[in-house]
Amino acid sequence: MSKISHVEKAIAYIFLIVVGVLLASPFLYMISIALASDETTVKSAFTFVPAEFEWSNFVTIFSNNNLGLYLKNSLIITVITIIGSVLSASVVSYGFARIKAKGSKILFVVLLSTMMIPGEVTMVPQFIIFRNLGWVNTFYPLIVPSFFAGAFNVFLIRQFVMGIPKSLDEAAMIDGMGHPGIYWKIIMPLTYPILAAIAIFSFSWNWGNFMGPLIYINDPEKMPLALGVQLLTTVGGGQMPPWNLVMVASLFLTIPMVLVYLFGQRFVYEANISGGSSGIK
Amino acid sequence: MGKREGKWFYLFISPWLIGFIGLTLGPILFSIYMSFTDWDLFQSPHFIGFGNYKTLLTDDPLFWKSVGNTFFYALISIPVGMAISLWIAYYLNKKLKGITFFRILFYLPSVVPVVASSLLFIHLLAPTEGLINKGLAIFGIHGPAWLLDPHWVKPALIVMSLWGVGGGVVLLLAGMKGVPQELYEAAAIDGARSTQSFFHITFPMLTPVIFFNLVTGIIGALQTFAQVFITTAGGPDNSSQMVVPYLFQNAFQFYKMGYASSIAWVLFIMIMALTLLVFRSSALWVHYEEGKANE
Repeated sequence: MSKISHVEKAIAYIFLIVVGVLLASPFLYMISIALASDETTVKSAFTFVPAEFEWSNFVTIFSNNNLGLYLKNSLIITVITIIGSVLSASVVSYGFARIKAKGSKILFVVLLSTMMIPGEVTMVPQFIIFRNLGWVNTFYPLIVPSFFAGAFNVFLIRQFVMGIPKSLDEAAMIDGMGHPGIYWKIIMPLTYPILAAIAIFSFSWNWGNFMGPLIYINDPEKMPLALGVQLLTTVGGGQMPPWNLVMVASLFLTIPMVLVYLFGQRFVYEANISGGSSGIK
Repeated sequence: MGKREGKWFYLFISPWLIGFIGLTLGPILFSIYMSFTDWDLFQSPHFIGFGNYKTLLTDDPLFWKSVGNTFFYALISIPVGMAISLWIAYYLNKKLKGITFFRILFYLPSVVPVVASSLLFIHLLAPTEGLINKGLAIFGIHGPAWLLDPHWVKPALIVMSLWGVGGGVVLLLAGMKGVPQELYEAAAIDGARSTQSFFHITFPMLTPVIFFNLVTGIIGALQTFAQVFITTAGGPDNSSQMVVPYLFQNAFQFYKMGYASSIAWVLFIMIMALTLLVFRSSALWVHYEEGKANE
């Protein structure tokens, strides 16, 4: 925007600071609860700005509450699903973007239309399938589906590949390269930015995913962090949950998301723009 | 050549095709079948025709309550959220010192996993010790019991959703960058104030983005699950029960697989109908630059 008067500038800063404080204060409260002592926690006498600094909470949560195990489970599930979703969507999108074959157009329409089906429709039958395979209380129901190329990811990469000049492929074909070579050596390396975005999407979806683990995992030893945090709050016998420790665990759940956003926002931004605007048109 | 190409095509897309058949198409057909049975996972299913749908639509007040709650939540949280995100984007688009800091800060709440934000809001919304009611008390307002009060639990969930309002700002900002600068310059020459040029230039140019946010917002709000499950489990007095938590309860707590499947299909129809309605309405209010619409 062009010139901004001093009054407008002042109004803008007041607005940004007021809204900024409103949006930042829950974070501060989260830290304050995480650092509260057990006595304060029992009384629920938390303060807005941290008044106590019970750093030992960050040790207790590992020694008494399995946090290390939850983190490990989350990490395993997330890393494997990222690999699965990026790799499968990348391969499939090459097929849709670059190989002409009978039925390819119809299948692409089918792929797009699957995006309209809410997960709730397939949730119950999938549960029954995985249950019959004996996969309840294993990571398989959470990781195996990622290897079958998500429709949205395929769509995003395909759009990106369509923008790569076909002359590259043709030159390679003249040199005697087949589709696997062209995909692996020429196209795939050029799609790294969009693959990075998909890795980030996949990370944020799986790291925070609550419903999937809730359906499939009952064994606390197998729980990822998102479910493990919630388990901490379900204490029996009319007792109060250890809220300070719950918030420490919540911080461990939140911080990786923040870091990934800070370091990956560039990729996400570009994918958002291309995905968002192509969704509009 | 053609045949060889066909072989390669199907080889490349096989991960998706296998997944589509095994994890989407198969389950869809299975789900349709189940929705016509009384299957409870332990006894063999009996075909009961439209029995589940009939019960659901005519004889299940709790289902209708959860539909009502879901729509109440969607109908308020989406427009309020969109208005606030537009307001925020308006200021974040200004060239000011430190604006990058504010952009990051405003976006951060939307990356917080819903489990963490739900657990946090149990405290923020606590009746006496909660930060929100303490804040209201400064202005002499006696805050409600929020999540514990049947009348305030839905507004409480809406307040919670507004914390993540920055998520929708990113696309709006990108849309604002795409508005030709000449339009603002011309308006400034004609003496337009910045609020005027916002409503007459920026807003119409942003309607495609707003449309996108609206569609994704509706789909997301109708599928609300974890917030309700964690903060209230549908209570108090079912006044925050929503469709997906109700579906979840039927499927995985009562093991009524047939009934849960019929809920899923009714939900699917509701989502499709609303999305279609918004798409139909878009001709009236979504502004596409001429020639760009068919790009």
